[in-house]
Amino acid sequence: MKNKIKVFRAMHDMTQEELADRIRVTRRTINSIERGKYNPSIEVAYNIAKTFGVAIEEIFCFEDDEDAEARR
Amino acid sequence: MKRNTFYLLVGIVALIEVGIFWLSVEAERPILIQVAFVLGVILLYAVRRTVEERMEDERTAMITQKAALRTLETFWVAFFAISLGSAVVAFSRPLGLRPPHLGPPGTAPPDMLELPFIGGFALFQMALLCLMIFLYVGFRVYYARKYGDWDTDEEQD
Repeated sequence: MKNKIKVFRAMHDMTQEELADRIRVTRRTINSIERGKYNPSIEVAYNIAKTFGVAIEEIFCFEDDEDAEARR
Repeated sequence: MKRNTFYLLVGIVALIEVGIFWLSVEAERPILIQVAFVLGVILLYAVRRTVEERMEDERTAMITQKAALRTLETFWVAFFAISLGSAVVAFSRPLGLRPPHLGPPGTAPPDMLELPFIGGFALFQMALLCLMIFLYVGFRVYYARKYGDWDTDEEQD
């Protein structure tokens, strides 16, 4: 799953730590999500989107397996 | 409480437990270390709840679950194989009798298992427990790495 969390964090001038505190996860989890190593639950994805005031699909984009392989 | 303070406390409690273990051996009172160990674990679980910085979330829970499942899947094979070996040893002797009597002929065999035998069994149990812990730590490291715990971090302290 691709995401634009880093972009939205920059737009809102927010650190990983601040975002993590707001959605009640660890900073490492935010880092892992940003790097595409971990796909968050619907709840966390919703909370991230809510924090930035946008819809989930504006931040997260489903990536086909082939796309993911090609990216690697 | 800060997270690093908590880890420091874990170290201190571990050292105290080692001291109580030694005391327990010296005094020949196993209840000392048994009670101290349970109290130590309860103390650490209670203190962990006061750590301000978040230590667990859905990702760490998933890593723990996967590591625990893989540990169980692996450990039961090792444990069962060792137990089968022990069963073979047990069934190789006449069943329902006391352990072999090594004393001089004519003397009565002991009524109960001697302590060194039980001590050996305890050490064997601890070795198996250590194997389980090593397996768990190994799997945990593997899954933590897989889900990005050791990736470069722009905000790393």
